[in-house]
Amino acid sequence: MWCLVPEFSLIIVLVIALALIFDFTNGFHDTANAMATPIATGAMKPKVAVGVAAILNLVGAFLSTEVARTVSGGIIKEGDGGVLITPELIFAGLIGAIVWNLVTWLMGLPSSSSHALFGGLIGATIIGVGTQAVDYNVVAAKVILPALIAPLIAGGVALVATRLAYTITRRDVGKPDGRGGFRYAQIFSSSLVALAHGTNDAQKTMGVITLTLIAGGFQAVGSGPTFWVIAACALAIAIGTYTGGWRIIRTMGTGLTEIKPAQGFAAETSTAATILASSHLGFALSTTQVASGSVIGSGLGRRGSTIRWGMAGRIALGWVMTLPASAIMGAFAAGLALLGPVGIVLDMVIGTIVIMALFRWSRRNRVTHHTLLNDIDDAGRVVNIKKTPRRPTRHGRGDRRKVSL
Amino acid sequence: MIDWSAFLVVSVASLFSAALLVSLYSLGLRLLTTAGRIPLVEPHEFTGAITVLSPKKAAKQVKRARKAAAANPLTPGLKRLALCAGYACFVLCGIAVLYGVYLIVPALHR
Repeated sequence: MWCLVPEFSLIIVLVIALALIFDFTNGFHDTANAMATPIATGAMKPKVAVGVAAILNLVGAFLSTEVARTVSGGIIKEGDGGVLITPELIFAGLIGAIVWNLVTWLMGLPSSSSHALFGGLIGATIIGVGTQAVDYNVVAAKVILPALIAPLIAGGVALVATRLAYTITRRDVGKPDGRGGFRYAQIFSSSLVALAHGTNDAQKTMGVITLTLIAGGFQAVGSGPTFWVIAACALAIAIGTYTGGWRIIRTMGTGLTEIKPAQGFAAETSTAATILASSHLGFALSTTQVASGSVIGSGLGRRGSTIRWGMAGRIALGWVMTLPASAIMGAFAAGLALLGPVGIVLDMVIGTIVIMALFRWSRRNRVTHHTLLNDIDDAGRVVNIKKTPRRPTRHGRGDRRKVSL
Repeated sequence: MIDWSAFLVVSVASLFSAALLVSLYSLGLRLLTTAGRIPLVEPHEFTGAITVLSPKKAAKQVKRARKAAAANPLTPGLKRLALCAGYACFVLCGIAVLYGVYLIVPALHR
């Protein structure tokens, strides 16, 4: 593949660069998903946690390429007379995804990088080629349905896991139960989440770059990502994870949702299990949403918990909005890109202006708690847990039946 | 052509694996506690966020743990057995994780 590099046209180089930037921001944004709980419960020192997350993301990206194949080989139809989508349209889709991602980050809306990516691509394709170019079956089966179902699965699994963890370690009140030991377990469970993140999120960028190479005629239709694409994406997400971590470290201690070690361990194990199983089947799901589902589920697994429906509704709205909104952004960018080179330059200028404006805004406001761990933290606040839940005591066994277990 | 069975596979697989890992680890902790080796984790210096023990609270817990260990009704032999069983649970848990990773990496199957 390297011998072809000199022949790459400018647009393909641009798309690859943009895709890698997207990958970087993905890692940057999602470090918190894996590493917020172990850092917060004191299970891992922040420097170590961030380093481990970066390395495991790198490793995870190499483990499986099923999701990349879903992105490059399924969603956009490759017609009989060659591939209908052009690198220009992928470029437009990426611009749409990045802009929407940054806008939601700015507004503190829960969003999913993955859905933004798919939305942007689909929107751009519909404008550029027509509605018939999108394979809606694949979109429904491998993107939309997993997006809806995976957080529910993760939540249910986390609920069961949390109850198991608490039930197995339960002892009479006053006797030490050793639940502090779950802190050690969190070191491993959060590492698994980081690994799972690499197997799902890094793949999406690989898929986009491969799709571009296929569209540009550099790769056979239906082939998987080549080694240099895998390596570049793995590195980009690892570097993003590492740099994103410093942001977390700087602002830790500003008040997170209360997550006990036992609960955090159960939630992380469920997240990792769900993402790894889905990645294996090629489902491109949002890791943030799965992690949020797990945190909510594990909160419900604890005693005395109730759901704050308003908060849950706000999160759900953010999830539902992402795909169509980024599709509109992508469509708009594609409309410009179709004007020719002028349109592409215009796209780039608009994209750069938005990114610069956001950068300046974030400098001015520094890092607030809200821009930091928004997604998972919001999920944690969906479940309200009473500070002093009724616990069965030795003298009051009769109360046990009343406690919802 | 929505493959519903794939969703079933995902839910069953994740439920089974997460429940297995969490149960094994919890059982290990429970056995350690039974054996009188209550795991007390010293909080790191970076602990502003979530409920983490203050040094005073930690000292109190250490004292409580010692008291509980002294009042342990098990014979030394049983304690040792519980300890071994606890460690065995942790080892099993680790093996289960490694097996899970092995299962999802296609490169290891060829």
